[in-house]
Amino acid sequence: MSRHQYIRNLDYQDVLDEYEGYSDEEDDELSPEDRELMTQGTAAVQAALGVEASKVTVAQIEEALWHYYYDVDKSVAYLISKFVNPAPKPAKTQPHQRTGKLATRAFSTVDHALLLDHDLPTDWATKTSNLTDAAPPATLGFSSSVGSRCQASSRTGPSLAHLFHDMPWGNVPAHRSTTFVPPLTPRGGLLGGSGTAPKMSKLQALAAARKKKAQEQSAASNAVAEAVVGLNELSVRDAAGGNEGAAAANPPSKRFKTSAATSLGSLPSLLASKSQTAAARPSPGEAPERLPSAPPPTQPAPSPGLRGTPAESCEATATADDATTTAPSSFGDVLSGIRSSARPTTAAAESKPWDRVEIDFDGPLYGVDGRGKAPPEDDRSSLDWFEVRRRKRGDSDLYEDVVVLFPNLPQSARDAFAKPSPDDIVLAAQAKSQTKAGQKTTPASKAKKTAPAAGTGDAKAEEPKAVEAPLPKSRNLDVLSEFEKHKGKKSASFVVVGHVDAGKSTMMGRLLLDLSVVDQRTVEKLRKEAQTIGKSSFALAWVLDQRAEERTRGVTIDIATNRFETDKTIFTVLDAPGHQDFIPNMIAGASQADFAILVIDAGVGAFEAGLKGQTREHSLLIRSMGVSRIIVAVNKLDMVSWSQERFEEIKNQMAGFLSMASFQAKNISFVPVSGLYGDNLVRRSANPAAAWYTGPTLVEELESSEPSARALTNPLRITASEVYRTMQSPVTVAGRVDAGSLQVGDALLVQPSGEKAYVKSLLADDAPAEWAVAGQSVVLHLSHIDPIHVRVGDIICDPAKPVARSDRFTMKALAFDFLTPMQVDVHRGRLHAAGRIDAIPALLDKVTGAVANKKPKIVKPGTVARIVVQLEAPVPLEAGQRVVLRSGGQTVAAGLLE
Amino acid sequence: MTDRRRINGPPGETIPPFFDDADRAPETAKGRFRPSNAIRKMFLKTGVTPSASGSAYLEISTSAKPGASGLKLSCSVHGPRSLPRSAPFSPHLVLTTHVKYAPFATRQRRGYLRDSSERDLSVHLETALRGAIIADRWPKSGVDIIVSILEGDQERETSRSQGDEVWEMMNALSGCITVAAAALADAGIDCVDTVAGGVAALVQDTDGDESQPSIVLDPVPSEHAKILAACCVAYLPTRDEVTNLWFRGDVPASDMELYNSLVEKGIQASRNANRVLVGCLTESVGEGDTS
Repeated sequence: MSRHQYIRNLDYQDVLDEYEGYSDEEDDELSPEDRELMTQGTAAVQAALGVEASKVTVAQIEEALWHYYYDVDKSVAYLISKFVNPAPKPAKTQPHQRTGKLATRAFSTVDHALLLDHDLPTDWATKTSNLTDAAPPATLGFSSSVGSRCQASSRTGPSLAHLFHDMPWGNVPAHRSTTFVPPLTPRGGLLGGSGTAPKMSKLQALAAARKKKAQEQSAASNAVAEAVVGLNELSVRDAAGGNEGAAAANPPSKRFKTSAATSLGSLPSLLASKSQTAAARPSPGEAPERLPSAPPPTQPAPSPGLRGTPAESCEATATADDATTTAPSSFGDVLSGIRSSARPTTAAAESKPWDRVEIDFDGPLYGVDGRGKAPPEDDRSSLDWFEVRRRKRGDSDLYEDVVVLFPNLPQSARDAFAKPSPDDIVLAAQAKSQTKAGQKTTPASKAKKTAPAAGTGDAKAEEPKAVEAPLPKSRNLDVLSEFEKHKGKKSASFVVVGHVDAGKSTMMGRLLLDLSVVDQRTVEKLRKEAQTIGKSSFALAWVLDQRAEERTRGVTIDIATNRFETDKTIFTVLDAPGHQDFIPNMIAGASQADFAILVIDAGVGAFEAGLKGQTREHSLLIRSMGVSRIIVAVNKLDMVSWSQERFEEIKNQMAGFLSMASFQAKNISFVPVSGLYGDNLVRRSANPAAAWYTGPTLVEELESSEPSARALTNPLRITASEVYRTMQSPVTVAGRVDAGSLQVGDALLVQPSGEKAYVKSLLADDAPAEWAVAGQSVVLHLSHIDPIHVRVGDIICDPAKPVARSDRFTMKALAFDFLTPMQVDVHRGRLHAAGRIDAIPALLDKVTGAVANKKPKIVKPGTVARIVVQLEAPVPLEAGQRVVLRSGGQTVAAGLLE
Repeated sequence: MTDRRRINGPPGETIPPFFDDADRAPETAKGRFRPSNAIRKMFLKTGVTPSASGSAYLEISTSAKPGASGLKLSCSVHGPRSLPRSAPFSPHLVLTTHVKYAPFATRQRRGYLRDSSERDLSVHLETALRGAIIADRWPKSGVDIIVSILEGDQERETSRSQGDEVWEMMNALSGCITVAAAALADAGIDCVDTVAGGVAALVQDTDGDESQPSIVLDPVPSEHAKILAACCVAYLPTRDEVTNLWFRGDVPASDMELYNSLVEKGIQASRNANRVLVGCLTESVGEGDTS
């Protein structure tokens, strides 16, 4: 309900009832004293009239006496002029003067009449008000031109000063300013809310305090002025005080709909008019000129000036009501709707406007047109909020008592509350799920206690955590059979290694471009960007080198991963950095690869430099990381105009070197390519100078390479190469499944932290999947684990067969440099840990593996030895894993854990 | 500003012409049927627009026969409502008045956008109401007062004499003031008093200079041969204050008395209108009692 409607529905009867006493005093019952005076006066008048007394009735005499305040002479004069010798037209000046005088008197007393129920004699008040009522009729017919003329004569100096003589010009005298009645509703708060006292905002409180202060100040200054204010003002203030009292007596929730009612002046005038109509009701046939009492009774003492003489204003306001109100036109009738349709439109009703107010309502109107049927009167008290009803139970003769709550409401409203509320449903469901989750945690925590303890021994018994989310559901698939059934493309990953600036990234960028993995537009954009910093030849490399630092420096820093697919295989490209400073990153890449592409710069001098540098180191590293298949891409042959001699020379040298690094000859292939132009990468070279090469292209070589056998049945091992945050899970781990298999819902153990996690969902080879097997690159969304427990290089494993954590291990190492008991860095994939060579128990034979020499002091490059490495912190390592030992930025050894 | 949103008719269109019929006696100037100090009968009703906070409808009929043209005003008051965020802080109630003639309200068809005369009326109305509203009771609030003039008090028959429309505008303004005061009261916005408008005019009933001009209340241009001057007054009866005064006409500057009497008569007209207003509000309070 709108506020408007609410205010409209307020009950004003209470408010108006308080003034009933006033309206009662308006009754024209004469008091005994008046009656006495009246009889005496009547007798005197009749005596004065003598024989003419028969021409006037007693009522007329009384009327005249009443008006002239028992002045016998005046009454006689009036009666003679009016009834005995009615003049054709009464003299104009006489009544004017008379009414003027009377009106002045009336106005001097009218303020007393205001004192609703104060100590003045009520009869006097009644009299005076009646006097003012009766005054006007004689002057009604005054023409305005005459009026203005007579004003002119009555006025002394018609000038501007006179015109504005009572204009306060801002200094409104105290008696003219109204007394503001405080608003009836407690305002000052925010709108809306419950029935409690509204809270004041700070700003409002400040404003209120300021206002109060200002009022106090003004009150102090006004005190002097108020002391000299006359009786009239006092009486006005009394009236105002009465009003204020009345307003305060109202219940604060009630509020006048009309704002005029809240102001000082109009309230009594409203009431007065109401009481007039009330007075009119019992005797509608009474003389009409008495009833619509003309001036608003609260009018302050008028000052002659703008408004003219008091008589004039009195005359102005004495215009009868029926002259100003009318029935609406048919349009207005329709517009104003129900109310006017109930109004009689007879001429009689129009001529007596107070009849219109008399129309009684039979009660509120219902329906749009007001003709609707009222709902049956409900005599239930508000206490009847329940009802006992007797209902027959089923088919038996038994009756049962049913308590119906709020029987006064319609059934639909009751039905709405019969069921639990939506809130209750939700709360109940939440409570239920919490108890369920609580039951679940118990077995889960039990499993935690048993499982990790089996392998590591130091996996601490975990506190049962409050599990806030349900565990991911496992479908319990047989992953291996699923994998066999799965007829997808096989996946393989390869790492691109080579000396720095051999063109690895550019070649891979060209490969991806030719395979439409990246579109031409992207490359054009990169080319433009590269041109702006003067490195236009790096545009293709930037497809993979996406970091700002890599682009400005023009070298690959970290491995970049990309994916492309051919007809048969999905390949994961690992573009490794060639720079010797970033060998650890290269190791991380190589550890995820099935085979390798070794890129060699065919430029004069460049190949030779590489052979001494990272071409050699990378070859040794990838071999010791377990990569056996290698494709040698002899790059930049366009720089040497596709010279076959150069290619053959490089091929011979590299074949010798690679076989020395224990690559088998069948696993080595050579492809002459141009990475910048894409010759022999995806398509054969169209250059006639390169026509001598008829072998397979690089992609064909890749496709023909069988990835190494997957360790599908081994326990699960995943090396986390990236840990980050996604929408799916705060702990998202990317890595390669080194061994084993997993599926959604599996419990996993993160080593070395020993924390347990669950697979919420996973992506295998960038596609959402239910399961993943060894060899695939996966992205795991883990749950039930804190992100601080998972770091890059961690091993994620099967909790049933966890990887051991150890700070000491023995390994069979191939030395690339002299090995003595010294500080080394142990690299395994992304994992690297600081340690030292603790002992060299034996020197081994390179071919047979037999112990050649016990406890050597030093291990020479190219020899194989068994060494013991002590680490500073335990790391997850197990037998069969390949690690690289580096020292001082050089790879010193690589080998197999025992 | 041109109106680009609606399809407007050609400019300057009028209602169909009213031809003098030979058979019918031409309706000459009808003259004034009511006393010179009486205003026309009016009908005032509050609460006609349910969706507005307060509303009122005022109707003044010129002639005795119902349905004849007169003044029909509808006023709706929206608010007090909080000012938009973009508006600067105001410690008082921000009063916004819109007076709009309906396109069909006058002989000369009006556009859909407010023209200058309508804006002028709005300013007058705002001045008149500002004196009555106790604005500091509603800080940070705004009130929109929208008066639609549905019928602009222009006689169809007098279409041949396209007189000065200012006189009709004065009548419209006095009606606007009265109806807006009623709507304000209906909305429950605090006022010091009910303000009502009244018009008095110095008219000449017969053509020619020899006749004596007289002052009439609530002049209807078609009833008089000539209107020499007119004055529209917005008056607070209880406080004896004039909140707005609009005087127009050719009156010799020396005749100060004439100015005085015109304003007085205007106040008298305003008092008469105020009685209707108070009666209407009393009635609506009474309705509130019964329903």
